[in-house]
Amino acid sequence: MRNIHPIAYVLILPFYMFLFFFILVPIGMNIFLSFTNYDLIQWDFVGWKNYRYLFQDSHFHISLRNTSLYAFFTVGFSMVLGLGAALLLKGNPPGIKIYRISFYIPYIASMVAVSMIWLWIYDPMDGIANKILNLFGIPSKQWLYDSQYALSCIIVMSVWKVLGYNMIVFLTGLQAIPPYLYEAATIDGANSIQKFLKITLPMLQPITFFLFVTGVINSFKVFEQVAILTAGGPSNATTTVVHQIYNRAFNEFAMGYAAAMSIALLLVIAFITLFNYRYGNQGADLEIG
Amino acid sequence: MKSGNSALQSIGMTGIMIVASILMLAPFFLMLTTSLKSSAELKSIGFSVLPRETTISNYLVAMQRGNWVRYFYNSFVITTVTVLVSLVINSMAGYAFARLRFPGRQALFVSSLIGLMIPPQTTMIPVFIMLRHFPLAGGNDLLGSGGIGLINSYTGLMIPFIAGSFGVFLFRQYYLNFPHSLDDAAEIDGVGKLRCFLWIYVPLSKPAFATLGALKATQTWNEYIWPLIMTTTSDMRTVQLALALFRDEHEIEWNYLMSATTIITIPLVVLFLFAQRFFVEGIVTTGIKG
Repeated sequence: MRNIHPIAYVLILPFYMFLFFFILVPIGMNIFLSFTNYDLIQWDFVGWKNYRYLFQDSHFHISLRNTSLYAFFTVGFSMVLGLGAALLLKGNPPGIKIYRISFYIPYIASMVAVSMIWLWIYDPMDGIANKILNLFGIPSKQWLYDSQYALSCIIVMSVWKVLGYNMIVFLTGLQAIPPYLYEAATIDGANSIQKFLKITLPMLQPITFFLFVTGVINSFKVFEQVAILTAGGPSNATTTVVHQIYNRAFNEFAMGYAAAMSIALLLVIAFITLFNYRYGNQGADLEIG
Repeated sequence: MKSGNSALQSIGMTGIMIVASILMLAPFFLMLTTSLKSSAELKSIGFSVLPRETTISNYLVAMQRGNWVRYFYNSFVITTVTVLVSLVINSMAGYAFARLRFPGRQALFVSSLIGLMIPPQTTMIPVFIMLRHFPLAGGNDLLGSGGIGLINSYTGLMIPFIAGSFGVFLFRQYYLNFPHSLDDAAEIDGVGKLRCFLWIYVPLSKPAFATLGALKATQTWNEYIWPLIMTTTSDMRTVQLALALFRDEHEIEWNYLMSATTIITIPLVVLFLFAQRFFVEGIVTTGIKG
């Protein structure tokens, strides 16, 4: 019996209470709400009506499409560019500290703040994006006000913002690859492209996979840049799932329907997380940190 | 020939990195220069990157649009309390999961895993409703109706961020690496588990505290959607929320907007420059150990 420490319960209790009341209970409540038509005043059970409506709601469909496009391009570009930057910094070149800071500052600045800066960059009248185009004789564009470009504008800003995160995680992974692997390959006469394909990429596989999955999950939560840059417009060209949840719940007070959307989002994210859990540890088992 | 080639290569790489770094920082540089331009210059036709005439009065004007002292105070209080409370409760739980034995440990730990997977955006509706019906707060009766509960209160603004499971995992991971001889020595000296935690583990885990502190501070200071939902009066606004409201103005005056943007970005950037190591450790941990 001397091996049991009852004090543990006291130490865990505060954390667990927060977890229980503000994460576990809300999940259950969310499921419950999704079968009601709660509007902050009264509620009735409506069965599967909210879920059935998800299949008819064109705004929800557009938001799914936009969110998926956003996730695909933001994750893709920020990973490729992040890996590229990390490869350039791998050998600890002089000035590495300054490069790291410059890449990382966009990541720690708030999304609201950087959205404001890019709002100015993209402004059709005053923004620098059009001023640069005009320098080359290209006519001004409406950027965020043009449904053809708006989502791309948001993606470009988001890639810029998260690039530094990907770079630093890749850099840590690169520095953990044992140098003797490259030395052995050099002795065997491998060129740099072969080394990259046969050593670097396979050794980075767990990190790549992790960045991909967390990147996709984070992309599915996209809201702030949309709320500030475009408010989902023009004509829903940039609305996202969380933006729809927010609108339905806190502008239209359709809490039940918004809860059903949250459950849909939760299922998508749970699927990605489980996928990560199942396949994430494949490949080389690097121990980093 | 080989060394000449690699010298050329390293010049090329340096060139690319310098250009890339400039591109990464350019938006912030433009934010600063725009914040220093006069309204007259912004309305004139020509454009120059640097202000023709530098004026810092924009900052004063921007800060007079709304009660910015109050917004900073709100953000500061919310961030500080959230960071401190989560450090305390997360380190305690992390220690218990790493070093103590008790029935139900596995089940409690696995259920905490859920907290890592659930994005707050998917639980914001029920949390909002729960806080609105919090008993005996904000004019509510014992059953939680009649008033606004914890809506528009500091407690309501902080609560969801204190819940995070990540800190528990960070501390557990950190403490698992401590040698068991520490505990054995403490036991021989008759030091109980609680004191062992307070006297031996806590003083040895400053890096873990700093890492989680940096991460939590960034998250809380930068948070937007939750204050947007939870705040109903202007005196409870955080800096992010107050900045976002500049967007609603009929005609945006960029010099004032960029002044306000600069001011709310500076505290974090300064903190980052001084405590870089911990910020980076935080993301490497989140990125790899998950």
